Amino acid sequence: MSIALPAGRFAGIVAKVNAFLLIAFILVAAFLGLVAYKQGWFVHQSPVHFVTVNALGINKGMPVKLHGFTIGSVNDMELAPGGVDVRLVIGSEYLGRIPQDSLARHAREAGVIGASVIDIVPGKSQVAIAEGAQLSFEPARGINEIIDEFRRQAIPAFNEVKAAMTQVGRSGEDVTQILENLRKEVAQLPATHRAIRQLVLEASHATADLSQQAGATLKAVEKVAATVAQTIPAVSEKLVGSIESIDAAAVQLKKTGEEAQLTLRSARPLMEHSEVAAREAGDVLGAAKRVWPLSDSFKETSDGMLPIDSFEAEGKGRSR
Amino acid sequence: MRWLVVALIFLASGCGGGKATVSASSTSLAQSRLSQAETRAAGFAKSGDYQNAARQYGEALRIATTLENADAIAGNAINLSVVQQWLGRDADARAALDAVLADPHTAFSERRKVQAELRRAIVELSGGNIGAAVIWAGQAQSRCAATSCEYAAAILNVRAQIELDSGRAAEAAQLASGAAERSRSSGNQAETANALRTLGRTRHAQGQSAAALEPLKAALEIDREIGDPRKILADLADLSRIADAAGNAAAAKDYRERGLAVSRAMNGGRGAPEASLTR
Repeated sequence: MSIALPAGRFAGIVAKVNAFLLIAFILVAAFLGLVAYKQGWFVHQSPVHFVTVNALGINKGMPVKLHGFTIGSVNDMELAPGGVDVRLVIGSEYLGRIPQDSLARHAREAGVIGASVIDIVPGKSQVAIAEGAQLSFEPARGINEIIDEFRRQAIPAFNEVKAAMTQVGRSGEDVTQILENLRKEVAQLPATHRAIRQLVLEASHATADLSQQAGATLKAVEKVAATVAQTIPAVSEKLVGSIESIDAAAVQLKKTGEEAQLTLRSARPLMEHSEVAAREAGDVLGAAKRVWPLSDSFKETSDGMLPIDSFEAEGKGRSR
Repeated sequence: MRWLVVALIFLASGCGGGKATVSASSTSLAQSRLSQAETRAAGFAKSGDYQNAARQYGEALRIATTLENADAIAGNAINLSVVQQWLGRDADARAALDAVLADPHTAFSERRKVQAELRRAIVELSGGNIGAAVIWAGQAQSRCAATSCEYAAAILNVRAQIELDSGRAAEAAQLASGAAERSRSSGNQAETANALRTLGRTRHAQGQSAAALEPLKAALEIDREIGDPRKILADLADLSRIADAAGNAAAAKDYRERGLAVSRAMNGGRGAPEASLTR
């Protein structure tokens, strides 16, 4: 049985297939070229190497960096007399930047942690390294070595801190004493406060009383003065006038005397009040004297102490 | 005066803020108990209840020791020794002072040390331990001279009594005169009277009975002014004895009867121990 195909259906099919295959080939070739370019296959690279007694941590493909910039990678490693021969490939264009006395060291990008790299530490020579040359190698420091170095640097500082703390410890007694004294003084502040408030209150009362009494005294004195002022002209007039007027003046003087007597009598309670006020002020001052900080201002011995009296030295039979 | 008022108002305003509240709350319970015990002890001593005063001073001393409060320790120890001596317990009075004198670790002030040493000299002399009294009085005087303390007259009086009890009346008279001068200049009436009393006794001991009456009368006047019956009794007893020695029997009898009246009154009218009036 045969199937009849329409005429012209596959006309030019060979050409189309060939065109497809060509495009596919070009795309694959472009991709491979791109990969090769990215891998640096088109860059000319120069081999250098170093020998290490211990290649732990060094792997193929590990970046090689100069001043933190990637200039190559670890290409190969193989056992060699005295350790492991590690081969690096470095972009030829960078060889001129690496002096002859440079060294390679195994490092991490962020100190103790981070990706491992081979770091090229440039030397001071003016001559650049040659292709295939051998570099000196400085192995990476382990955590123990880092700690040891830290210890070496920190021990003097720790010793100084220790000495300072010992010094503080020795002066601790003084500080404690100062704090203790301070605490005592602070503890006495409330009593001081109360006593001073009381003192101020009583002083204000005493002052008010005194001012009132002084006012009364002043009025009395004014009264006497006014009376005298009125009396003296009358007396002088009557002395000049006649003997009758002398009698009248005498009567007037007698009256004035009585008023003066009354004034003195009224002044007596004032004096007594003043005495009481003075005594109260004395008591208040006495209280203030016993209270810090005023106590230091008064040289008095009565600080709650019973009298230290030499009379007590007398024998019992003699005095009691 | 004005500056003082201004300063006080300033201080009061300064203490009146929130800090005072904080301080008040920071006063410890032990500190409060110490203050209360001291106040109670002073009250008992003032009212003549020496048993309770001694108990309270002992309590205050104990609390002050727990607080390591050197000044309070010394103050209460000295007060306790005074009260114990009033109670006739010389050994306890001496032991109380050990809290200050036998403690080399606590930093007592020089003033407290002088007080304690003087008190110890007084206790020792009262008990007839003249040798110990000489040592303690000497220490007190050295310390007092170095710090110009207010107990110079009392120390001189104690030393005068020591000399008198040791039979050296001339030295005693010299010291008593010095004590009288010192106490007069400092306005200490009690020690002035003590000095005059000792001076009268030294003159009597030197055979100058007539001359001895004058300082004793002066001492009696001061003691009456102060109002201490024990001293009045001592003055009357000395006056009676010395007036008798001076040949003035009537005056001696008068002083003796006055002394007996004082003595009876001191003992609540139960009859007086007359030994002091008949020595």
